[in-house]
Amino acid sequence: MKIKVQVLGDTLSIEGVKELSAANANSFRDQVRGALAERSKNIDVDLSQTIFLDSCGLGALISLHKTACTRNGTVRLLNPTAPVEQILELTRLHRVFEIVKK
Amino acid sequence: MSESPGKSSRGVALRLSLACDLTEVRPAILAVRGFLAEQGLAAKDLTKCELALAEACNNAINHAADGAKSKAIEIEVICNAAKVELRVNDHTPGFDWPQRVQLPDSESERGRGLYLIQSLMDSSLYFRGAGENSLWMCKNRPSQTGSLTLPPANLEELDRRLAESEQIISDMAEELSSCYESLSAIFRFSAEQGKSIGLENFSRRLLSDLLRITAADWFVLRLVPKEQSRLVVFTASEPGLDLEPLEVPHSAGLARPVEVRAALNRQDIWFDQQKALEGDDPLQRAKPDSLGLVHPFYFGDTLIGALTVGKTISRVPFSAAQTNVVHTFADFLAIQIVNARFQEERVNNLLVARDLQIAKNIQRSLLMKTVPQLPGFGLAGYCESARQVGGDFYDAVKLSDHALLLIIADVMGKGIPAAMFAAILRSLLRALPELTNQPSELLSRVNRLLFDELSEVDMFITAQLVYVDIRKRRLITASAGHCPLLLAVRGDAEVKMLSPEGMPLGILPDTPFTDETAELPRNCRVLLYTDGLTEARNARGDLFGQERLLEWLKETTTRPRKAEELKDELAAELAKFQANTSLKDDQTFLIMAE
Repeated sequence: MKIKVQVLGDTLSIEGVKELSAANANSFRDQVRGALAERSKNIDVDLSQTIFLDSCGLGALISLHKTACTRNGTVRLLNPTAPVEQILELTRLHRVFEIVKK
Repeated sequence: MSESPGKSSRGVALRLSLACDLTEVRPAILAVRGFLAEQGLAAKDLTKCELALAEACNNAINHAADGAKSKAIEIEVICNAAKVELRVNDHTPGFDWPQRVQLPDSESERGRGLYLIQSLMDSSLYFRGAGENSLWMCKNRPSQTGSLTLPPANLEELDRRLAESEQIISDMAEELSSCYESLSAIFRFSAEQGKSIGLENFSRRLLSDLLRITAADWFVLRLVPKEQSRLVVFTASEPGLDLEPLEVPHSAGLARPVEVRAALNRQDIWFDQQKALEGDDPLQRAKPDSLGLVHPFYFGDTLIGALTVGKTISRVPFSAAQTNVVHTFADFLAIQIVNARFQEERVNNLLVARDLQIAKNIQRSLLMKTVPQLPGFGLAGYCESARQVGGDFYDAVKLSDHALLLIIADVMGKGIPAAMFAAILRSLLRALPELTNQPSELLSRVNRLLFDELSEVDMFITAQLVYVDIRKRRLITASAGHCPLLLAVRGDAEVKMLSPEGMPLGILPDTPFTDETAELPRNCRVLLYTDGLTEARNARGDLFGQERLLEWLKETTTRPRKAEELKDELAAELAKFQANTSLKDDQTFLIMAE
């Protein structure tokens, strides 16, 4: 999958996630983990272009959340689209992730 | 993937099959979505069907044994005006379909598929057969308005879009208003902070606003007091929530109050009917069966506190927007608390510095610029203050051309109070001239006068008084728990130590003191000192000690020296011994030499 990954200070910023599903969740997770710099703590995932997210996609985000926690950081989900936000609320994962809307 | 649209007796149907491969799922689902959109399914329901179907297919593929991977998975979609039916057939060993699926632990990376299907669909059934399983899902469509005669499709579509737009607008309005409320509350409180209302008041009012905005019923704000590892209730929505402090241990355990767990894990913890609080959790006892969340907050790595917000009446969990408001308020509050603490510390430091300056000034005023001398006898005093000013002082009162009263004292305590007591003691001793040749009586009198004040502040004073009469060549000394007086005579094997009995001043209201009399032989040296001398330590941590002091004093009797020279010598000895260390206590001595 093609995503844009940027290191900004102690934050790894990910943009351009169109779909996060069973087909690509593992590769997404591995790609993000591979891009973590030594000082990366937080992971920002921009979900403003995400039109589809399934339970495997959620699994990948949770796994990144755990990675961030071991580095004393957090995963922030930026501007999720309405359907994605509904799924986060439905599975109560808005309690785990910080959801930021700008 | 292959598809075949058709007309079923129950509505319009689409059938397609896909290979047992996760990458096949998404294109198949998109085809179904396109088909359902053509049937005029509302966007909201399209999204739900899309996700439920994806979960069903992923499940089928993930449960397929290696041998079954060659067999296709079939999707069947039937759509009519009342409902959408989705069916997924697979050739896997299948699995047990639970009656009601629970959400897994929030840390779990798996196990949400079936939950999503059950939540998104109105009904679902799973048929497990030999070599073939079938998952059936159904989504009801909103009932058509009006009669059985369908209005023109485009009008119906317009109505639906209008209803959807209304929903979106009302959702946005709700979110906007909660954002607006939180922002205006924060601005209001930022302005009030300038008016220096107490932090507690401020927090309570801010959090009362938070309850209103998030439709919650109660809150508890715990803070970690400075240099403590406890979460102490700072303010709460009602007096019943003024709970006992909670110790915060160094590592996380299991059965702990939820607020402590949240603080240790640096994570929000949610509680509700499914994940209820432990029976012995203080919050459970105070607010049984609440739902809510604990949000710990930090300044850097330092735990500042934990905010718990709960609902007892409503069963509606906090939405994402409300959760955001809770976080925003807690973070804002944390900044205010840290700011307030910095301010307090700064003011305290200023006060301490002022206190020290005043105490130093008092102490300096106690020490005489010139020490009275007697014919043939020299007298010299030395007082070096440690950084934290204590209450050491010495004094010498000339009583006649041949008599002196020597005083040395150590007030136990620091800062202004110690310096004040030193000043009072000095004045009292000088105000009772009739008793100067009876040091023990003078001490009892002074003890009675000072006892109440000293014991009230838990302070005491050690002191030594020496009446010196050079015409009679003798001294009379009394001590209130002070170091011994040292008397060294040339040619003597030992330095004499005079230590008459007596308790420090301020311990007992009526306590006896005794006088001890000693002759003053030719070329003797008399040394009065405070324990800051003998308890001085060098860089290695060794004590200066009484032995070293006795040795030095004895050695000086072999050389003719004036009191002033002896003072400089002892000061130099001390300085040499304490090289590269900082003074821990005041060091004071008074030396007399013939």
